[in-house]
This record gives sequence, C-alpha cells and structure tokens, in this order.
Amino acid sequence: MVEEKIAKELRAIAGGDGYLDSREDLLNYSYDSSVDEAMPDAVVLPNSTEQISKIMKIADREKIPVIARGAGTNLSGGSIAVKGGIVIALTRMNAIKEFSKENRYAIVEAGLVNLDFQNYAMKQGLFFPPDPSSWAVATIGGNIAENAGGPRGVKYGVTRDWILGLKAVLADGTVIQTGGVTFKNVTGVDLTSLFCGSEGLLGIVTEATLKLLPLPPFKQSLQVFYPKIDDASKTVARIIGSGIVPVALELMDRVVINVVEDAKKIGLPKDVAAMLLVMVDGIESECRNQVRLIEQICKEEGASRVAIAENETQEEALWLGRRSALGCMSQLRPNCLLEDVTVPVSNLPVMIKGIYEIATKYNLTIGVMAHAGDGNTHPMIVTDKRDKEEWERAEKAIGDIFKLAVDLGGTLSGEHGVGISKKPFMNLIYGEAEFRVLKDLKKVLDPNGILNPGKIM
Amino acid sequence: MTKQQKELLSERTNEHVYHCAKCGLCLDACPVYKELLVESASPRGKVQLAKHIIEGDLEISKKMEDILFSQCLLCGSCVIACPSGVKQNELFSGLRWRTAQRHGMPLAKKLFFQVLSRRWLMSTSSWFGKWVRKIFSGPAIESRIEVGNLPVSAIPPLNDKPFNAAYPEIVMPEDEIRARILYFHGCATNYVFADVGKAVVSVLTNMGVQVEIPRGQSCCGLPIFLSGDRKTAIRCITEALGLFARDDVDAVIVDCATCGSALRHEYAHILRELKDLGEDVSEDMIEKAQLLQSKVRDVSEYVAAHMDWLAAMPSRDGARKIRVAYHDPCHLMKGQGVTMQPRTILKSIPSVEYVEMEKAGTCCGGGGEFQIEFGDTSALITNRKIGYIHDANAQILATGCPGCNITIRAHLDKNKNMQVLHTIQVLQKSIDGTLDNFIDSGITAD
Repeated sequence: MVEEKIAKELRAIAGGDGYLDSREDLLNYSYDSSVDEAMPDAVVLPNSTEQISKIMKIADREKIPVIARGAGTNLSGGSIAVKGGIVIALTRMNAIKEFSKENRYAIVEAGLVNLDFQNYAMKQGLFFPPDPSSWAVATIGGNIAENAGGPRGVKYGVTRDWILGLKAVLADGTVIQTGGVTFKNVTGVDLTSLFCGSEGLLGIVTEATLKLLPLPPFKQSLQVFYPKIDDASKTVARIIGSGIVPVALELMDRVVINVVEDAKKIGLPKDVAAMLLVMVDGIESECRNQVRLIEQICKEEGASRVAIAENETQEEALWLGRRSALGCMSQLRPNCLLEDVTVPVSNLPVMIKGIYEIATKYNLTIGVMAHAGDGNTHPMIVTDKRDKEEWERAEKAIGDIFKLAVDLGGTLSGEHGVGISKKPFMNLIYGEAEFRVLKDLKKVLDPNGILNPGKIM
Repeated sequence: MTKQQKELLSERTNEHVYHCAKCGLCLDACPVYKELLVESASPRGKVQLAKHIIEGDLEISKKMEDILFSQCLLCGSCVIACPSGVKQNELFSGLRWRTAQRHGMPLAKKLFFQVLSRRWLMSTSSWFGKWVRKIFSGPAIESRIEVGNLPVSAIPPLNDKPFNAAYPEIVMPEDEIRARILYFHGCATNYVFADVGKAVVSVLTNMGVQVEIPRGQSCCGLPIFLSGDRKTAIRCITEALGLFARDDVDAVIVDCATCGSALRHEYAHILRELKDLGEDVSEDMIEKAQLLQSKVRDVSEYVAAHMDWLAAMPSRDGARKIRVAYHDPCHLMKGQGVTMQPRTILKSIPSVEYVEMEKAGTCCGGGGEFQIEFGDTSALITNRKIGYIHDANAQILATGCPGCNITIRAHLDKNKNMQVLHTIQVLQKSIDGTLDNFIDSGITAD
C-alpha cells in the first residue's frame, strides 16, 4: 500500500478518478499479455506530461518503483509491477497533437492506440509502418518501449525506424525532448534510439514524433499452402535470397492453422503442414511482377496451392486469421507461452526443424508461427499453468529454444523485449562488459533505481 | 477444484477465466472501455476479477457490484471479438446473479421484475403501466427532466391497449398456407411498439405464413437475469418453454433482438448451469430449451430466407427514393449473427435507397436499463453513435431492437427529420404503399 500521505499527493495531481488503489483496480493492473501477475500498490491515470513529471518527483523522493503501462498487451512481463509500486497507465493521454501532411510527421501522445492513429493517417493518405499484431489495442508509447515490430517489418523495419523524436520524463521528473521533426537530424548523440526498446527502464515516453509514409498505390497478397513445412521455410529463404522485398512474409504451421480455423471458420484447409502469407506493395505492374515470381518460387519448392487476393475484401480475409492467431491458441489450452526468437533468415528451416524436435523431446504441443521474412519465429507452447509438471517441461523447452536460436546466430527476442520472461537467459547475449554499460547508464538516468525495477538485468 | 468454485458458478463457466490470454483484443471491441479507458471497464479486466473471485481470494464487494453493473452493457461485443472463445456474457451474467444475491437489488427494480415475470399481473393489473410511467414518465420523473441519459419527452407512449389484444390467437393468410410459425412478440411490442407487431403479422400473412400468437406469453426474462435475478427469470423461462418449445411448427419468430438472443442462447446455458449447481432444473427442461433454440428466427432472418414468398412490390422508375440506413443491434449482430438479412430486405424494396452507415455495428449505448442507471457513461457512447447516424444522411434509420429504437430516437437531432423504424415496418409500409406518406407526415409533424 502507498502511505496515505503520498496517496493524497498523487490524488491531488491526477484527480479523483485518476488515482486508483482498490484491490479490484490493483488486480486489473497486475497483468499484461504474458502469463505472470504482480500487484502494484497504486495506479495513476495521468492526463499530461506535467502530471507525470510531478508524480515522478514524488516517487523519486519516496523511492517508490514506477512502472509505465500502455494497454498492457506486451508479452514479456515488461509492464508488471514485480516490485510493487505505482503503475502509470497512459491510456488517457491519447491525443494527436500535430499532424503535418506536407512534412509527413505527426506528434502524438504516448497513450494513443496504434490503429486509431493508422485510421486517422490513412484518411490523409499516409501511414505509420509499425504494425504489431496487437495494434487494435496497443499504444504508440508501448510500441516504442518494446520497440515493437509486426508483419510489415520485412520491408519497413521496426518502431525505432519511424520515430523522429520523443518527449520523455526521467526518474527525477526532468522532462527531455529528443530529436525533432526533420527526417535528417544528427545533432548530438541519438537519444531517441536509446529510449526505443528501453522497456521503461530509462524514462517514461509521453509524446512521440512519428515519421510517416505515403500509402502505397497498390498491394497484393498471396496465400500459399504446403504439405511439408520444410518446403515452406525453404521458400521463405529463397524469396528473400532472390532480392524481392515483400512487405510481409508470414508462416503458420498445421497446429496454428487448425486452431485459427476452428475459432474463425475462414475456410483454411486443416490437412496442410504450413501456410505462407506474402504481401507486396508499390506500383501495380511491379507488384504483379513480384507476385508472379513469388508464385513460381512457391510452386518450385513444393506448394500444393497458391491463392492470390484480387481485391480489398479478399486481402482482409487472408490476414484476419493471422492477426487473431495468438488469442486463438488459448482455445486449445488455457496458457500459451509465446516466444519471439529471431535468426538469420537462411537458418529459418533449421530453427523450425529444431523447435519440432524440442516439442517431441519434452512431449509438448508447440505451434509455430513466424514473421518468416525476417527470421522472427514465434514458437507457441500451449499448456496449463495449473499442471505443474507440464509447466516445468515447457520452461525447459523454452531454454532449449533460446540456446538453439543463439547457436544459429540469432537472438532471444526480435520484437517483444526481455521484461522478466527472458531475463534469466540474458547472459546468452550480454557479457559482463555489456551489462556494465547498461548498469552505468541506468545509474545516471535513474540513480534510485525506481523505473521498472526487476526487468532485463 | 475448491469448494468455493463449485458453489459460485458451474465448472463449465469457471473454465472460461483460464482461457483468457489477456491479449486485449476485447478492449478494442468494448464500447464502455473505449470511453472510460480504465482497465476495470474492459472485459479482460472483469475476467481477471472473476478469476480471483472464483479462486476465492476476492470478495464480491460493492465495488465489484459497481464494476459488473455500471461498466458493462452485456452487449456481447467482447464475446465476438475474443479469439480464445471466452464467453464473457455467461461469466458476467452469472456473477451479476451472485452479486444481486449478496447485495440485493434496488427495490424498484425488484418490483418491476416480479411484475414482468408474472403475466397475470401484467395483463390484469396496472402494475406494469405504473412502473413504466414511474421510470419513463409521470410527475416524479418529469420533474427530473431526464431519466439517466434518456430525455423523457422523446420516449414513445404506451400502446392504448396491448398489441395481442387486437388479434385472434391464430391469424390465417388469405391464400395457401406455406408455413406455420409461433410469434413471440415480447414486452416492447405488446406494450410500446404495437405497430411493429402489426407489421410482423401483416408481412408474414402476406407471405402465406400462418401466425399463431400464443396467449399468455410474457417477458423473455433477459433483462431480469442480466440484472442478476435468476430466480424470477426461471419463471419466465418455464412459461416461455411451455408455450413455445413445440416441434409441430416451422419456426418461432421474434421481432426483438434481445428476446431473440435470450431464447436462442441464454436459456439452455442458464438452465444447464443451474442444474450443475444442484438447483431444481430437469433434463427435460434443458431439452425443451434446445428445441426452442433450434426454432427461433429473427423476423428479418425468416423473411430474408423466404423473399420469394413476398408479393412483388410496385417498381418506382423515376420516382424519388427514400434513403434508409440500418443500425445493427448488439443482440442481433453479436447475439445472433444476423447482419446481412435486414440489409437484404431493405435493398430489395424498390422505393428504398439503402445507405450503409459508418460503424453500423457499434453499440448505441442504451443497454436497456444501463442508460437510466449509468447515464454519464451511456451518453458518451450514444453521442458517438448518433454522430455516425446523422453522417449517413438518411430519412429512415431501420433497426431490429426496441431498446436501440428508444435510445436512438431520443437522441436524434430533431432538425434532421429522421425516423426510426423496425426493418419489418419499412417493408410493411412499402408493401402497403404508405412509406411516402409516412415520411411526409413525419416531416410535417416534427
């Protein structure tokens, strides 16, 4: 519990309905989309950067942990209050403060939902490339804190690539502004990038300047089915190797296809081993040419069926299943442990084969989904946390998957971040020197260690 | 499984809380969350609280009561959005039931439900009328000008006499009989929207359908069990099953989205859950509920499936067309999956120019009693919806739910001269050739 004296101060800042500390409210901010839970001591829903600055001054003075939270869709336990403290939920800071069509940037508050912004930008003929699968709910601030990716990452990269500047509040309440509105800007060290993917350890991002792109004039998607998954992953490596840059290149295996079909009834064949979803965008003639080339590669690699979307409705239908796949996995068993190991794309076939071997070794059901085009693989272990013995096997399997990814020249996390779930494995990636740099950095920006303690290191 | 779990809700219902992946997709679907932006308003948040209640480490507090009743419309949007197949509606209505048992229900509400559930009281006494006047009009309320978010002046008056008093029990078509149906007209048609009932009977008999209107039918029970009073609701369910669970008819036709979703989805679930919890419910009742469920069709669904039975409507070459938009009621779209059929009907009418409004499927914010008890939240949702409706620039808004009808007509901009009708009324007026007159008189009257 937060002392009444401090609670009073916080209430004075955030207003009556902006400060929550009932048991019900605390339980409602004790989770994210991962499997862990931890109770905070209070929740504050601020309306402005100034309010957050004031809250930070109090928290720093009292040495109370502060955890920034967007919509709580992160998958690493990153926004869970493992050491208690104050959750600052930014959902009510969702304004678009400036939108410059001519200069192709927008300044938005951190709590704005990604898709709400996309819908706004699209009406002006522009878009913000990062598209995490949770985009209907996830906030821009959360996207930045986790440096989120998404299916479009193959062509357009991740969140960091589209942030021109940030407003952030440091642990002691200091407000800083990084970057600016120009696309080119090398004045000083790139502090913007420092905050992207920092998981709330270095400061709280309250506003972001987003770089936008004009909507491509044309896009087209293919849906490809395979009797053998190995052929599907080889196709991926070949498409990328051929020099084509698709917008997205997604893979779903039999387990995932079946679950999605059972839940959504969208007409996916349940007897195939894998499905690829490929999207290209750009000038129509060029797209059609690329689609033809991709189709040819798919067939040469053993695809049993290729479907090409011919209009917007068909496009939507092809992608619907992919976006809801994670949630659908929970129909199978109560819990789904979703990882996001990433390997060089040429090693994708080995990675996927390895995941299946690990599933057999530990006698687990693992579905595989992947942003295959950039080697970002989502093994999904379905289990039930209430079954302790199986849970232990699942945890061991995850350890094996991480080791395999690193052995293949890859990394633990492509887009979800470390949080608490990957923390025990950080030493596979970071050595003593790297940890020291991170600790020194933390000491400078957050000397009392109040920002999201217990994460990453 | 602990003792507490067994006692509170059935195991089948409990299991839902363990299948929530907390992915958050329901936050985007929930009209209440979208306005309040606080996690307790989200379906995911309530599932989390349900889990802790079921596991016995959270009390059903007054705060919980507030969350369950004031931050949820039970519109079912989350159920449709949930990729994990969690049936939040079953979970939340079960918890409302337990909450009402613990904290009781406001006296006025209790009285209303008792009255509603006993048709003899409804048809032979003025109790129902008294209650409706108390909530919807009368000096006490008029002095308050608004009931929650519902302005009194915009609420339709009660029928002069109940709808079913004007019809024989069986209404025959003029020519051959193509089908036989039972008509469940619900309270709204019987007491407030008699014209909807007339339109249903007129259209169906025009199609060659024999319409049987069972005497003695009363409330479907949905507003009652959604408020947590399952004991009273069981009376409604038992009566409805006695009158409508018949396999000698082709269909049971319902004109109210809410009643339809109750008959179709809620009865069997509630009966099974109560049986699992050791209440006095027989397997025979559950079977009857399943039979009824298989027969229920929304009137728009039934008509759209038999469009060829409708007599041809005069074509309108060159004449002006009337612009009609359609609003999807939650209990029809999310509750019963009926979306295309009303549009099919409207588009088939020669004198109608159908316009698809933006966000036709979002909630109107009414939620039955929600708008009365929790006016502020309701107003936020309703205002957003009304904006979309006016943007469609139509002369008629068709819909299939008396609740949506009341909410929407109460908030429309009077200067826009827009009328709200049941889809079937638009069809009936088109068949009768009175749609133009209706529009013209509507404009002059306002």
